[in-house]
Amino acid sequence: MIINHPLLGPRDAAEFVYKGDVGLIDRPDGMSDDLDTFHDYAYLRDNPAGEHQELWYHEQGDRSWLVVTRSTLTHEITKVELARDVARARGRSS
Amino acid sequence: MVNHTLTPTPFLGGYDQSIGGIRIRERHDLGLISMAIPLGDDAKVKKALKAAYGVAEPSATKSTVKGDVRIIRSAVDQMLMLFPNDAPNPVPDVKSAMKDSVWVTDQSNTWVVLEVSGDTVRDALERLCPIDLHPDTFAKNASARTVMEHMGALIVRTGDNSFLLMSASSSAGSFLHAVETSAKYAS
Amino acid sequence: MSQINRLKGGLVNRGNAMSFTWNGKSMSGFEGDTLASALLANGERLVGRSFKYHRPRGIFSSGAEEPNALVQLRKGAAQEPNTRATVAELFDGLEATSQNHRGPLAWDLMSVTDLMAPFFGAGFYYKTFMWPAKLWEKLYEPAIRASAGLGRLSKKPDPDVYDHGFLHCDLLITGAGPAGLAAAMVAAKAGLRVIIADEDFLPGGRLNAETFEVDGQPGPSWAAAKAAELADMPNVRFMTRTTVYGAFDHGIYGLLERKTDHLAESGGKPRQILWRVYTKRSLLCAGSTERAIAFANNERPGVMLAGAVRDYVNRYGVTPGQKVAVFTNNDDGARTADDLKAQEVDVSAVIDTRKGQYVAEAKGRRGLKAIVLGDGSVVEADCLAVSGGWSPNVHLTCHQRGRPSWNDEIAGFVPGGELPPGMTVAGAANGAMTLGAALASGVAAAKAAVKDLTGKSPRASAPKAGDETYEVQPYWEVPNLKGRAWVDLQNDVTTKDIRLSQKEGFRSVELLKRYSTLGMATDQGKTSNVLGLAVLAEAAGKSIPETGTTIFRPPYTPVPMGAFAGRARGQDFRPVRKTPSHNWAAENGADFVEVGMWLRAQWFKRPGEKGWRDSVDREVEMTRKSVGICDVTTLGKIDIQGRDAAEFLNRIYSNPFLKVPVGKVRYGLMLREDGICYDDGTTARLSENHFVMTTTTANAVLVFRNMEFARQCLWPDLDVHLISTTDGWAQFAVAGPNSRALLSKVVDDLDLSNEGFPFMACSECTVFGGFPARLFRISFSGELAYEIAVPARYGDSMIRGLMKAGEEFDVTPYGTEALGVMRIEKGHAAGNELNGQTTAAMLGLGGMVSKKKDSIGSKLSEREGMNREDDMRLMGFHPVDKADKLDAGAHFLTQGDPEDMAHDQGWMTSVAYSPELGHSIGLGFIKRGKDRVGEVVRAFDPVRGKDTKVVITSAHHIDPEGDRQRG
Repeated sequence: MIINHPLLGPRDAAEFVYKGDVGLIDRPDGMSDDLDTFHDYAYLRDNPAGEHQELWYHEQGDRSWLVVTRSTLTHEITKVELARDVARARGRSS
Repeated sequence: MVNHTLTPTPFLGGYDQSIGGIRIRERHDLGLISMAIPLGDDAKVKKALKAAYGVAEPSATKSTVKGDVRIIRSAVDQMLMLFPNDAPNPVPDVKSAMKDSVWVTDQSNTWVVLEVSGDTVRDALERLCPIDLHPDTFAKNASARTVMEHMGALIVRTGDNSFLLMSASSSAGSFLHAVETSAKYAS
Repeated sequence: MSQINRLKGGLVNRGNAMSFTWNGKSMSGFEGDTLASALLANGERLVGRSFKYHRPRGIFSSGAEEPNALVQLRKGAAQEPNTRATVAELFDGLEATSQNHRGPLAWDLMSVTDLMAPFFGAGFYYKTFMWPAKLWEKLYEPAIRASAGLGRLSKKPDPDVYDHGFLHCDLLITGAGPAGLAAAMVAAKAGLRVIIADEDFLPGGRLNAETFEVDGQPGPSWAAAKAAELADMPNVRFMTRTTVYGAFDHGIYGLLERKTDHLAESGGKPRQILWRVYTKRSLLCAGSTERAIAFANNERPGVMLAGAVRDYVNRYGVTPGQKVAVFTNNDDGARTADDLKAQEVDVSAVIDTRKGQYVAEAKGRRGLKAIVLGDGSVVEADCLAVSGGWSPNVHLTCHQRGRPSWNDEIAGFVPGGELPPGMTVAGAANGAMTLGAALASGVAAAKAAVKDLTGKSPRASAPKAGDETYEVQPYWEVPNLKGRAWVDLQNDVTTKDIRLSQKEGFRSVELLKRYSTLGMATDQGKTSNVLGLAVLAEAAGKSIPETGTTIFRPPYTPVPMGAFAGRARGQDFRPVRKTPSHNWAAENGADFVEVGMWLRAQWFKRPGEKGWRDSVDREVEMTRKSVGICDVTTLGKIDIQGRDAAEFLNRIYSNPFLKVPVGKVRYGLMLREDGICYDDGTTARLSENHFVMTTTTANAVLVFRNMEFARQCLWPDLDVHLISTTDGWAQFAVAGPNSRALLSKVVDDLDLSNEGFPFMACSECTVFGGFPARLFRISFSGELAYEIAVPARYGDSMIRGLMKAGEEFDVTPYGTEALGVMRIEKGHAAGNELNGQTTAAMLGLGGMVSKKKDSIGSKLSEREGMNREDDMRLMGFHPVDKADKLDAGAHFLTQGDPEDMAHDQGWMTSVAYSPELGHSIGLGFIKRGKDRVGEVVRAFDPVRGKDTKVVITSAHHIDPEGDRQRG
């Protein structure tokens, strides 16, 4: 597979490490959110047949975390974004 | 006090040999400094870089050079500076030159640096490097971090037929072996 | 007998004769021959035995599709079984032997299986060896193993080397036949970066096998000229002897280039190179493969594909027989007869199904003697050229599950459905079965690729060539079959097997394939699949499109395991990381152990020490008594800087980090988000915004990755920056009561007194008269101890300096074993304890999970199940009988309880012999451990057959109050 890094261009997937669903960005707050919310965050994932947004880490590269939109059926990748931008867009800050 | 002087041992003993017309040379004369850009300080750092070293901020895929100083973008918010150095701790000088505008970490001992050159150098590198090194896509001063023979690596084109290859210093021997083998097999 | 079947002409170099041996017999051929063409030239028809029935077999084809002529090449360690003679290039001195027979090839003892064929039909394994079950191990399996398999491995290490590589192009063209060459010319002239690969050593494809003309030149001359022109262009890489074996995701292709297979000696160069090719577009011009017709004994040596016969006659100047008959359902038959006659070979008959004629049976067991026609007449022939039509080579189009579709006009499957993205197909592979059409489709496809990639439309017209007639009448199996008719020659599948499978309910083509093994041999059924499907369709009373087809997976042709392994063999299997003191350690008797990729000294043997325990016990004793030094460079080191560095660490570690003073080190515990401990280490605060973290050796990469995730994805607006400095610093633990005295001789101008530099202090400092270093007062051994770091390239000099400074204290270097013993004595958890099930509470560190802040894993640590009263607790264990040796992995049982899982109390994680205590000690997890100190339990170990009484103690076997490390 090839991941088209938004800054570096196409790179072999061998340079990357896979983590999982993009929802891992949406970490609840350990002080204000309850245990059930945290449980769902840690353990529950959708497993779609089709488009999936997922986290990849460019470990053998610029160490950036990416959000890759990939079809689990065809492996077609339709979008690659810096995870940091996605995280901010999803409301995360400091 | 015990009478002992600390002396450096280059990771590859100052290796310098030609295999199949490709010269492989350890560049142990270089200092490497990582400069991380504080959040939101991009413009400030850009200016400081220009003032300190007369060099522009490198793009994600192309290093910038001024004289003996080369700056490579090593991560989104991080740069790696290569420059002639034999001081055991170059950090204070860089910090003051950059007027404390960046977070500085010495990397001189983290990487081993090889210079590979020769007319057929690309024949050897295509056995090693997954990056497309065609001059149209990887021109002079282009840089990339990638993986070679399972080792994290950084490659920079310094000329038509010359490149810098960098990898972790602890596996310098394995990295050199991989480069030597490529030169031997491709010639 | 020398080359009795050699004709005039051909593309071989008659000026360069080559000698070779076949089953020990000397023969000769020419440069440009394959082993198959040379064997045929020498009149050899019988070349092997079939897989299942050990039927005599001859050369069937002239290319990669060969199902029969699998031979062994070379001798000794370089011996290579199962090589297709049809693609093995002849070289001077080649030694080749036949395989899969006992006794001589002509009198194979195993051919008795053929007589038992009625018992060996489709699925015979499943049916025959059902009972009695106990005979499986003793009789069936050994017997099957002895008779199964084809060639034999040398069982010696492969003497050749292999390599990998990476290539990039705009357009990859698979196949350098007419379509591929014409396409390459267009694409290359338009400036695209082109790779054109062909498995043959001679470019041209079918042009070399036929007598066609292109642009007024003989086909082979045109091909040679175009190949030379392309090879000279700087934007073209022309790769012969190179198979495109797989089409992978996102335009990546796998290519196998055979570099030295055609040479007697490799000269130390890689025998083969496995290329990973990144393409923007690809064009498949892989041609087509001829198929046979099913009639009785249609696989006798001498029965051959008609296109192969023309190939041997035209390209190699060899006739496969002296009297050749032709059996066809298409226009190739006449062409074959013409080409033979042009070389003055006797053509005894042309049997054309379109005229209602057919061959009923082949006669002659070890070689064809005659054929019996449908009308009962007998025709003499030592070779029968058969053509059942041509099947486009769609294989690569299927590698991403594309399913070919049936084309009635050519009676074959053509690429259909979804091709791998970026791929187009031209020439015969796309059903353009005639030369003119193939050239035109190659040019058109290349123009489309150029337009697609550059936006420009190149001017180019197709080379001129005629369109030979190609009219085919689907014809699969002759009527009134007398005996068995073969479909899959390599796996010995007959038409009867297919019908039987269908009758038994294996109606889906996918099931049929697996049950009958049709198309599952090393040739993947290149010559047999379509025929097999047709027979199945007929049996089921369906059309071929209704029946469907199986698809193909990589590799297109077999790829040696050595090529996949590449350089990753032996010492080069993976990189080796060495510590800065490696050379010094090697000089001083170190025995090294692999820790991940690192090589670490595990102990330093001194003269007179008989076993490792002698060395380890001494290292522990000397360290605890005086001072020892250990290279701990392998611990992960991460430089952490930023305005929010402290805040960041406070969220990463479960214990508080906000208020660590500058100049102090703090022990930190890292949890996964689910609350399980996964790493621990110390982090030093060098300045307000600068920390240096250490991680365990094993988790250095993982911790870095997780922290990058936290900084980029969880808290993207914290100003914090990470960079690994693991390799940058040579770090040495200096431990033992004399460590302070030793370091006082090394460190410049730093007050090392307990007040001036207390436990958990850290500082940047200088050593040996002004040299920059870092000093940390931390202890893994439990002794008064420090870790001192200098830039890595000074590490060798540093260890020598430290040892010199330590001479007066009788300093000892110690390795990972002594390190392990001391940490077990001290009760520090390590990898054995952090096994992915361990909570902070289990380690007795529950109090370190702060409830006053949100850190990774803190919330889910609160779960009830992770805070149970009866939960496991890390404790120490001593044998009641001090002479007993403890074992990790033993399970604890309360005395008097039965030995079952319901009564399991925990397990021993780590054990060591403690030189200080003089007996074996252990660490382990046991239920309600802290309330059970002094209780005697059983360490029950049925695996080793041991049952040892142990007493529960504190995990801190020595100095539980920590006086030594604080002193």
